Amino acid sequence: MATTFKTLNSANDVTSTRTLLHEAIPLTGTIVSGTYSDQNIKTYSHGMFESVYDYPYLSSSANHIFDITTGYSSDSAMSGASSIQNSKKLNIYSQMAQVLVGYDAAGSIQNFDQDGDIAGGGTKIKEAVFVNFSRLLSKDEVKKGSFEMWVVTGGVPNSLSHRMTISDYGAATSYKVNSPAGEYGILYTSSATPNPASGVGLVYYQAGVALLSASIFRGGATTATDSSLGPGYASGTYESLATGSNIEGMANAFRNRLQNVSFNNTVELNSTVYFCRASHNEFNYSNNPTYLSDSQIRVKNSTTDNPVSYVTTVGLYSSDNELLAVAKLSEPLKKDPTTEVTLRVRLDF
Amino acid sequence: MAFLDNSGDIILDAVLTDTGRMRLAKGDGSFKIAKFALGDDEINYELYNKNHASGSAYYDIEIVQSPVLEAFTNNTSMLKSKLVTISRTNLLYLPQIVNNATVGLSSNSTNNILTVLVDQATVDDATIAATGDFVNGYRIGDTASPIVMDQGIKSNAIGDGSSVVLDADLVETQFMIEIDNRFGNIWDGLGTTQATPSFVDDDNVATYYLSTSTNNTYFGKSGTSMSGDVLSGPRGSRLQFLVAPSVDLNSSTYLFTELGSTATLGAAVRQIDTTVRITGVTTGYRVDLPIRFVKKQ
Repeated sequence: MATTFKTLNSANDVTSTRTLLHEAIPLTGTIVSGTYSDQNIKTYSHGMFESVYDYPYLSSSANHIFDITTGYSSDSAMSGASSIQNSKKLNIYSQMAQVLVGYDAAGSIQNFDQDGDIAGGGTKIKEAVFVNFSRLLSKDEVKKGSFEMWVVTGGVPNSLSHRMTISDYGAATSYKVNSPAGEYGILYTSSATPNPASGVGLVYYQAGVALLSASIFRGGATTATDSSLGPGYASGTYESLATGSNIEGMANAFRNRLQNVSFNNTVELNSTVYFCRASHNEFNYSNNPTYLSDSQIRVKNSTTDNPVSYVTTVGLYSSDNELLAVAKLSEPLKKDPTTEVTLRVRLDF
Repeated sequence: MAFLDNSGDIILDAVLTDTGRMRLAKGDGSFKIAKFALGDDEINYELYNKNHASGSAYYDIEIVQSPVLEAFTNNTSMLKSKLVTISRTNLLYLPQIVNNATVGLSSNSTNNILTVLVDQATVDDATIAATGDFVNGYRIGDTASPIVMDQGIKSNAIGDGSSVVLDADLVETQFMIEIDNRFGNIWDGLGTTQATPSFVDDDNVATYYLSTSTNNTYFGKSGTSMSGDVLSGPRGSRLQFLVAPSVDLNSSTYLFTELGSTATLGAAVRQIDTTVRITGVTTGYRVDLPIRFVKKQ
C-alpha cells in the first residue's frame, strides 16, 4: 500500500525537553539619563511612576525597559499628611508589598523585610525605590546571582560620589522562597559581606522587580547636605525628598544616580522533539509533478534502478491530515533504498 | 585518521503553521501531532540528468544544489508534493490523476475553463447557456455530466489499460478534495447528495474526504471496466463529483465585487476564478483544477 504519511509512535518517536536560555541584559546609565535628554522617559498625569525606554518613547522603535517608582509604608517616619503625594507613596508601597510580600495571618499587608525572614521580624524596609523591569527584558525570570546595579548614593549635584555596586551576591545557591511572587534574593553592596544584616534591597526574580532600601542613600551620604538627586537637581537628603518631593521627582533623582544595571534573563523553553525516521524502504518515491514524465519515473531508466527522492521539508500533521508544523532542511537530502535517515524535528513552545 | 561523519541525525527547528496556531489557541486538544510527511516542493526532477558525462555521481548534481526556501506558515502552501512510501523498488511507472473531459464535464468552449453558473438568472440566460458546458448551480442535479478525474498510468508501456489492471497497492481508495468554502461545495456526480467537509481551515479552505467504501456515489467504474478513458495504461479509480456555488455567490455579488472581475460570456457577467484541488490519499498525487464561478450582471 502506497502512503505519504508515517505515524509517529508516541513512546519512541516523541520526547519533551526543557531548556533554560539566558541572555545578558546590560543597561548603561547613559541610556537611563543623558543620551536622549529624557525624551525616553515617559511620565504620567497620575504621577505614580515613570517609564524608561531605550529610545525616545514617541518613536515606534522604542522599547519599554523598566519603570521607577517609590513609596513608604504607613509606619515609616516619612509618612505623614504633610508629605507631598503621601497617599500615593503609601499606595505604591502597599501595592508592591501585597504582591511581593503578601499578608500576615490577620490579613494585613506585610512590610518588606531586609533579610527575607518575614516571620522572624527584624529590620523592615519601610522606604524603598522600586525598579520594575519590563517583561521584554526579564523574560521568564532574572537569573539568580546575575543581578548587578551601580548606584551613586552620595555627593552633591554634579559631583556625585559613593558609587555602590549592588548585587545579589551568592543568590545562585541561596535565595528566598517565602514570597507569593516567587523566588527572591537579597541585594548587598559587597560580596564580602553578604550577611542578612547588610542587605540593602531585594530582587524578585520571576516578578522582575528590584527594590532598594532608602537606607543606602542615607547611609551613603557623608554630610547632611548630600543629595540624593543627580546632576541638575537641587540638593536634598533622601528624607527631605521623600516628604517634600513627588514620586516623579524622586524617580528622576534615582534615575540620575543609576549608572549601570545588568543581569541575565531566563527563558524557559519547552520543546518537543519528533524523531521522524525514514527507513530504507520508505519515502523513496515522490508525487512531485516533475517526478513523472508520461507516468514514467524520471530518475529511473529501468525497473532495476533504485528509486531516488530528495527531502527538503518535514511536515508534522494531525490525525486528520492537517499540517500543523513545518521544518525545512538547509539543502536537499537524498533518499533512496540504501539509506535511512532520522530527522529530529524540534518544536519550541 | 579522519573523523567519522556524524551527520546522520539532523536537527531541524519547526515552525507552527497558521492552522497549528489556531488549533493551539482553541485549547480543545485538536493540536495533536500524530504523523509526519516528507516533502520536496523545491525539487525539479527534470534536472536529474541520467546521461551526465561525468557519471552517475553527477546525475543529481543540479538537484542537490537547489536552494531551499524558508518555511511558510500557510498550511496550504507547504508540502504540495510529498515523498511516497512504496516498499517495492522495481516500479518504473506511477499513476497520475487526470481530468477526463471525454466522459465528464468539459471546459466551457468559450472561456476554456470548467464553469459553474451560480444562479437561476445566469442559467436561464440563453446566450450564456449557449457558450458551452457548465455546472448548473441553480439546479445542481440538472448538470449534464459531472467532473470526472481518472487515476492511472498514462503510458501503455506496461500494458493496455483495457486489459491490464493497476497494481492494487497503487489504486486510490480515497480522494481528498479541497475548495475555498466561500465559493463552493462538493456534491456527488448525480447532484443528489452534498458532501460534508471534514474540516474548514483558517483560510476558509474546506477539505472533503471521499472513499470508495463510504462514498460510492462519488466513484465511477474503475480499472479495466473504466470507459471513455484518457489513460492508455493501467487504470485505478474514477472520481466523479460536482461543484455547487455557495449561498453567498448565489444570492450576493459581494464576493464577485471583492475578489472577482467582470467579463462577457454571451452576456455581461461577473466571475471568480479559483482552483479545486484533488489529491489521491494513497499516492499523494494531486491535481489543481481551475474553475470559474459565473454570475450574470
